[in-house]
Amino acid sequence: MRRALLAITGLAAGTTMLVVLKGSPGASQVVPDRPVAEAPVAPSTPDPTPAPPGASANPLGSAPTGSAPTGSAPAKPGAKAGAGPTPDATPGSTARPTTAAPKASTGAPKPATTRTVTGPVVSYRYGSLQVRITLNGTRIVDATALGMPQGGQSGLRSDDVQGSYSGTAGEVVARQSANLNTVSGATYTSDAYRQSLQAALDWA
Amino acid sequence: MASGSVRPGLRRVEHIMGTAISLDLADDLPAAMLHELAEQTFGWLREVDARFSTYRDDSEVCRFDRGELPLAEASVDLRAVLDRCADLWRETDGFFDVYATGRLDPSGYVKGWSAQVASDRLVEAGAANHCLNAGGDVRVRGRSATGEKWRIGVRHPWDPTATCLVLTGTDLAIATSGVYERGHHVVDPRRGVPAQGLRSVTVVGSDLGVADAYATAAVAMGRAGITWLDQLPDYRHAAVTDDARLLHTPTLPLPD
Repeated sequence: MRRALLAITGLAAGTTMLVVLKGSPGASQVVPDRPVAEAPVAPSTPDPTPAPPGASANPLGSAPTGSAPTGSAPAKPGAKAGAGPTPDATPGSTARPTTAAPKASTGAPKPATTRTVTGPVVSYRYGSLQVRITLNGTRIVDATALGMPQGGQSGLRSDDVQGSYSGTAGEVVARQSANLNTVSGATYTSDAYRQSLQAALDWA
Repeated sequence: MASGSVRPGLRRVEHIMGTAISLDLADDLPAAMLHELAEQTFGWLREVDARFSTYRDDSEVCRFDRGELPLAEASVDLRAVLDRCADLWRETDGFFDVYATGRLDPSGYVKGWSAQVASDRLVEAGAANHCLNAGGDVRVRGRSATGEKWRIGVRHPWDPTATCLVLTGTDLAIATSGVYERGHHVVDPRRGVPAQGLRSVTVVGSDLGVADAYATAAVAMGRAGITWLDQLPDYRHAAVTDDARLLHTPTLPLPD
């Protein structure tokens, strides 16, 4: 029993040291508009859009699950102080540990109570992406995935929408118009058919 | 219905199975033969509707569901459909479930299957170039009347008059399932609640019934459906998430 206790204490100490070391200056990544020493903010705040069960299987790294912490980073209050402030920058969480714990950087503190924080580029199973969160005081009020997956299979899959992606959900799917013979879509009712592109093609 | 231009072939639309079915015969065949082929195609689809509709109390499906028709006395078609639906239930980890609503409803397979059968019959009858669109499920063969590959738009999930993707090919089955047309009617059969996460899924392959079932299953799975679709060896896909991201397999038959 005592040995177990010792082992646990040792592990905790080791982890803390590791995180503190990793969080030391010099290794810091892109976090443009983040004030320094905001460390404890994110983890103590309830996620505004909690990841649904099963989100860990999600390869997309979508905005709604963007603030779901992954890996071991966010769980330890003791480690947090040293560990750079954006443990929420690991969306699309597959069970894998992500690279590079987020770091604080030297952005000037903003006077406004609402501010945005951009996390580092995080690699995960299907590529990499980046999350921007918006904080109001110490509450996270929004989380947006900034990048489409790059590299890997889903990167290939999303190549052709990359150009049209502007960072605002709803603009990712580009409206195309082209010389078409027919249109595939979810089964329409007669009313919906009348308003559809397919109807226009049929009557052309 | 058909255009009055000089292009060869025939185009016709009929409302069957509660939706519009468009047929485009592109072969330069005698008008009488094209007319006959169209008659046979729509005749078959009307017959399927009469036998498989869940809205008609006297359909074979409803009589079977009520227990009035023993399986042994069911038609070869119905037994084949039920067998295939059972296979699809296993292949999709239970997410394609003809009993998801509590009663037998094989519509998610029947529409694509019947269009596939109709297309196969057209090829056998000598109409190797055609496009059949059954309420958004598309089977194309050969080339269009202009001699080019068929160009199939995938409906934009937020705009009925726009497309979000164009596919092209000479032998494709393309089925799209989505929550935008009839509301969140795709039920996650495991939890009994409307599926969330994917707004629209398009599956491309060789068999339209299978493509339709896969698309429906993926929508029911939610975002995990994309991972599942990735594992299918013979069917490719495009999916639009609720937050408007379009993801698709790299080998989708896109225009040159």
